[in-house]
Amino acid sequence: MKHFGIIFVFLAMAGLLCAEEDISRGSLVRVRASIQPYDQFRPWQKKSPFGLNGTGVVLPGGKVLATAALVANRTEVGLEKPGSAEKCAAEVVAIDYEANLALLQPVDRNFLKGFSGLALGPALRAGDKGEVWQLERNGEMLRNQAEILSTGVGRYPSDEAGFLVYGVRVSLPKRDDSYTLPLLKDGQLVGMMMGYDRDSQEGSAIPVPMIEHFLKDAADGKYEGFPVLGVSWSPLRDPNLREEVQAPKSGGFLLTRVNPRGTAGRAGLREGDVLISVDGFKLDEDGNYRDPLYGPTAVGNLIRTRPTVGSPAKFRISRGGKEMELTGTYDRRARDEVAIPTLQFDQAPKYFVVGGLVFQELTGAYLQEWGNKWSERAPQRLVEYFTFQQDKRPDPEKKVIFLSQVLPSPITLGYQQLSGLVLVKLNGKEIHDLAELAKCIDETKTGDLVFEFRDEPGKLVLRAEDLPAVSEKIGQAYGLPALRRL
Amino acid sequence: MVSQFFQLGLLFLLPLLSGCGKGDWQLSAARKNVVMIEVTSQTWDYRLPWNPGTVSSARGAGFVIDRKRIVTNAHVVSGARNLTVQREADPRKYPARVIFVAHDCDLAMIEVEDSEFYKGTTDLQFGEIPNLESVVSVYGFPIGGDRLTVTRGVVSRIDYNSYTHSGRESHLAIQIDAPINPGNSGGPVMQDNRVVGVAFQGFRGDVAQNVGYMIPTPVIRRFLQDVEDGAYDHYVDIAIRWMPLENPAMRNYYQRPNDGLGVVITDVYSEGSSDGVLEKGDVLLAIDGYPIESDGSVRLDGQPVQLEEIVERKFAGDTVGLEVWRNQKMEKKTITLRPAEMFSMYESLYEEPPRYVLYGGLVFQPLTANLMAVMISSADLRLRQTYTLFGQDQLYRETPEPVILSSVLPDRSNVYLTGLAGQVVREINGKKIRTLADVMPALELGGERTVIRFEGDQRPAVLKKREVDQVMPRIMTLYGISQPHRTELGGRRLAKGSWNRDGVAK
Repeated sequence: MKHFGIIFVFLAMAGLLCAEEDISRGSLVRVRASIQPYDQFRPWQKKSPFGLNGTGVVLPGGKVLATAALVANRTEVGLEKPGSAEKCAAEVVAIDYEANLALLQPVDRNFLKGFSGLALGPALRAGDKGEVWQLERNGEMLRNQAEILSTGVGRYPSDEAGFLVYGVRVSLPKRDDSYTLPLLKDGQLVGMMMGYDRDSQEGSAIPVPMIEHFLKDAADGKYEGFPVLGVSWSPLRDPNLREEVQAPKSGGFLLTRVNPRGTAGRAGLREGDVLISVDGFKLDEDGNYRDPLYGPTAVGNLIRTRPTVGSPAKFRISRGGKEMELTGTYDRRARDEVAIPTLQFDQAPKYFVVGGLVFQELTGAYLQEWGNKWSERAPQRLVEYFTFQQDKRPDPEKKVIFLSQVLPSPITLGYQQLSGLVLVKLNGKEIHDLAELAKCIDETKTGDLVFEFRDEPGKLVLRAEDLPAVSEKIGQAYGLPALRRL
Repeated sequence: MVSQFFQLGLLFLLPLLSGCGKGDWQLSAARKNVVMIEVTSQTWDYRLPWNPGTVSSARGAGFVIDRKRIVTNAHVVSGARNLTVQREADPRKYPARVIFVAHDCDLAMIEVEDSEFYKGTTDLQFGEIPNLESVVSVYGFPIGGDRLTVTRGVVSRIDYNSYTHSGRESHLAIQIDAPINPGNSGGPVMQDNRVVGVAFQGFRGDVAQNVGYMIPTPVIRRFLQDVEDGAYDHYVDIAIRWMPLENPAMRNYYQRPNDGLGVVITDVYSEGSSDGVLEKGDVLLAIDGYPIESDGSVRLDGQPVQLEEIVERKFAGDTVGLEVWRNQKMEKKTITLRPAEMFSMYESLYEEPPRYVLYGGLVFQPLTANLMAVMISSADLRLRQTYTLFGQDQLYRETPEPVILSSVLPDRSNVYLTGLAGQVVREINGKKIRTLADVMPALELGGERTVIRFEGDQRPAVLKKREVDQVMPRIMTLYGISQPHRTELGGRRLAKGSWNRDGVAK
């Protein structure tokens, strides 16, 4: 086993020796990102900054492709030419955290003059060979032989449903802080590496169809993202279950929940329907369609990568034993129009401090701040609202406001220990977002402010006339730059 | 290493030094009355609820009190299949039997039939709660040897603490700085020739050292009084939640003067002792005539204790008088105490065999602390949340006993159902499942297929009734299951569940 490894490294070295100067010099840049995420537990401040380095691919036309993970929560992004320390700031033209892709553009449009860029190549299949390129410190190119092990729908770092992903075998020496690296075949870009495991020497790459979709979407300057269907489903192999739902003889899977706002829900699909085909592609009992290139592939690729937002969708379903056709339009409302957003990169968390009570709007980012075991460690009520929001909060306008902590002040005596409480009403009025809460409080100049929570202790009371003096003091005492961000 | 030897030396020295005067009598009384209990017990396996469980042996301590009774911990004798006791003075091992077990306060009473055993015993007497910083002696048979062992400690804290054996109860407990190790359990803690506690648990984890806990005499006396009628009843519960009334704006809102008295009731548990008498938002001002401070404490014998302590010392059927401030009026209320059966799900079960229903390889079990303990690592979020929020959200009003599809025993007839293990059962053949007792009748309903639906967006499980009848004998043989179900609840009571999702009382 060990011998193979050594031979493999030699092969890679051989690759390096015959590097073609022109291609390397004209296609890759170093991306240096300075990252500083918001502190979800102290929403008025940011965490310690740190830097990330990765490799960006220059595209024909002078824009640079990188992974979104490399530039998430950035304060500044810069490009650096290989082989020289010449640098230029860059702006993010388009970014998609689900697809893990970002398009950058140097502020100085002439910075990449002379770079020819890499054209996009064809989609690959399992068994195809390629190369993963890396930049040495001195700007030299390291070309590592790679093989596509698998093509299939898999998990992306910040996505819930899954996209097409290449499994890649490659031996990568560590050069930068990130494995954001291009995958090439015959001098053309066929994928972006986004993850790598040094022990197994296997990594994952975003395949070229995803990149094409992303670039096409970004071309008009208005980035829309990948569509989603908005359903939960179950395989339909079980003959007893097929009989129960009166499924056709073969094919199709069972929809177990349909978000009324999603592509499927708006096209009229309902819970209990058997989805037989999408846009003419037949679906099997396990949720696969036959892809012309990849063979049996999970339906996610059919629905998310192939069509664009706004394009027409055609569904064939069986309902109660009757087959019918339904049409709609691909969109991503099921993902975007939610009460509790799953992802929240780059965005400053909203908060509102009143007399020492700190209110925030619940987001996935807040819960993830509790660490890997957030679902056990975070307040269970918040976990419940987030995880089962499809059960509970179909209305995206009704945000979940919660008391995240109490900054002790003279008027929060006895409240100091409270945290993680979902706010339901203020003075008897239902509150649906943080701005509404702030407005109600601002308008109350005297008298009681009765906060009603979903759980114990049920009610907390502050006196409106106490607030102006106390709020100012709290801001000073705790050094809060502002008492609200709505 | 050096310091460890030094410490060991000290531990040996202490009893010797104090061997003069009063300690002499106490040690000799302990020698006569402290017994070593050897137990062979069986623990049910909730993964395989039809199995009789695993057999294990352990050792604990106990002590003889009047009327030839022996007091020990419940956790020493729970699940006991064989029990022997032995005294220092008499090397013979006498068979014993359990008369009463109180899992909620970790106490038990056992007896030996052979009166020979009691020759030379002198019946230990109980004392009161020892003072802080006073010295107590712990007698038992901890790991490391077979002879009676004495350690001494200082009373460090007297407060409410959780009793880990039951999994959900908290009672008064006394913390001492002598370590309580396995084998100490059930042994007496003595001061001035009297028993002032029963050693029962140590501190788990690495955060604290030399911390041990004993059950104080108010809890022991309550146990002894409770069993006088020949049966142990459960502790009672006031079944409310309250919040300190310390905040001036809050006091003003409830129109209470700034006198440092009263707590606000934040929840009244349906079906509990206070249900229908107290309301959310009531300000509780006094309990049985004791004024309640705004932090929820009352002064009992000059000591501040939580207001629940008043209820702790009472029994089912006893009443408690309350002074309540409601709608700016003082009202006197009386509640009749009862156990909080609706929370029995959170109690670890020891004696009763696990209940289950087997249906075509599908195993249904009620959600219990025991089941959760074996499923916790694999439990999906919905199951965990059902367990966590069951009490808080009063889910018992609708579902007194959530039923879980705890496992699917693989068989050629259920190959498509194995992924459903761990789901919370919502309905079977259209009938809402509220307790395990609902499962078998519901399985009979409907046509030729049985349809089992779960909470959340999971697919239903569909089985053909005729096929299930055919495969049951095969599955039972293959998996060594002697009976297809065990559903008797025994003496345990569940919540009544007098509410349904539409808010209509049944």
